[in-house]
Amino acid sequence: MARSTEPPGLRRANDPPLLILTSLAGGPKHGYALSKDIEEFAGAVLSPGALYGAITRLEERGLIEPLEEIGRRRPYRITAAGSAALAEAVHEMSRVANVGSARLGLVRGILV
Amino acid sequence: MTGATAGHSGVLKWYPRTWRDRYGDELVSLLDDTYGDQPVPLRTHLSMMKAGSTERLRWAGFVGYSGEPDRRVRGASLVVLCAWALFVVAGSGFAKYAEHWDRVTPLHDRAVPSDAFTAVQVAAFTGVVIFCVSTLVALPAFVRFIRGHGWAPIRRPLSVMLITSSIAMVATVGIVVWSHHFGSSPLNSGLWPYKAAGITWGILVVSAIAARAGAIVAVVSRLEPSPRTSRALGILALLMAVVLVVVFAGMLTWWISLAIHAPWFFGSGIVGTAGSRAPPAMIIFGALMAVGLVLGTCGASRVVLNLGEFSPSEHG
Repeated sequence: MARSTEPPGLRRANDPPLLILTSLAGGPKHGYALSKDIEEFAGAVLSPGALYGAITRLEERGLIEPLEEIGRRRPYRITAAGSAALAEAVHEMSRVANVGSARLGLVRGILV
Repeated sequence: MTGATAGHSGVLKWYPRTWRDRYGDELVSLLDDTYGDQPVPLRTHLSMMKAGSTERLRWAGFVGYSGEPDRRVRGASLVVLCAWALFVVAGSGFAKYAEHWDRVTPLHDRAVPSDAFTAVQVAAFTGVVIFCVSTLVALPAFVRFIRGHGWAPIRRPLSVMLITSSIAMVATVGIVVWSHHFGSSPLNSGLWPYKAAGITWGILVVSAIAARAGAIVAVVSRLEPSPRTSRALGILALLMAVVLVVVFAGMLTWWISLAIHAPWFFGSGIVGTAGSRAPPAMIIFGALMAVGLVLGTCGASRVVLNLGEFSPSEHG
């Protein structure tokens, strides 16, 4: 499969690709486990269409990779490129969050 | 795809076959885990319809950055082709509507609309030539496809195209014979049965053009031409986009010029009388061409963007 040059969609905290990468950073998961994990840590319910649309794009970009099927469920894991993209996105968001916290007079330095 | 649950696998119909082969089982498994024996809610159905349609558009290269650049160039070229089909519909109506405009336009005011009208005619002819050349360029890939897969995968769109084209052709012959029988076109008589016949004929012709464009999109999306052929089709699509711009600009110039110097053409047709400067027919033709122009510009921009992604080895 050709690597896509499409922007990865990791700018906003509720972007499905970012939520999926964040979930997979905790270990490989299949579709249903991803959906439940995302609901738990982000409170976001991704529709099956949105979830698999994002999985398709992430796999095209080489940010996640499929593992061996278990029954009809196929787990995915984050790749090194995916970890790097996630780290960059988290860093960007942390910077904005830190500035926001500082300007609001909230506790500083919580986010690195 | 194997083992999909019958109850939930129906939602996969929105997705393209290649996507279903790769992700279908997993998606159905997710639906089974989420909804169990319950039917998929309407909201999820709608969401999957949207997601599946998006995958289809991506797979065909119409949107997004999935797949190889040559597929994306081909998809974008097809968008330009669809824009041209809109121009064919609007242009045919415009050509009929503008007949004999010069007879009611003062001689000293004819230069600008005449040049504009000629530009439209030359551009329209160039468009037909570009279309024919594109067909020849894609022909070897089409022959390879038929040898490899047979007619079955494209039988349906081709059948629809042939049926609608045949009906439109028979209707056209009937209208022409009828007109000759009356001495002048009965469609211009103003009587409702003739007007109804004219509208029906128009709908048949538009349906035939739409079916033809649909069949071409369905066929070309399935072809696997070489990168060089895709590149050639992309360049021809860019030329076609230029044609669309010239036709639109020519039509607009002609319209404005006549609205200023011979507005009676859009009214009674009697020189010196008042007339409408924005008759409904011209608004419809103009709107159709404007939509086509936007579509064509989007397609051409996408062709340019993706032509740049061809690697040097693919150029050969």
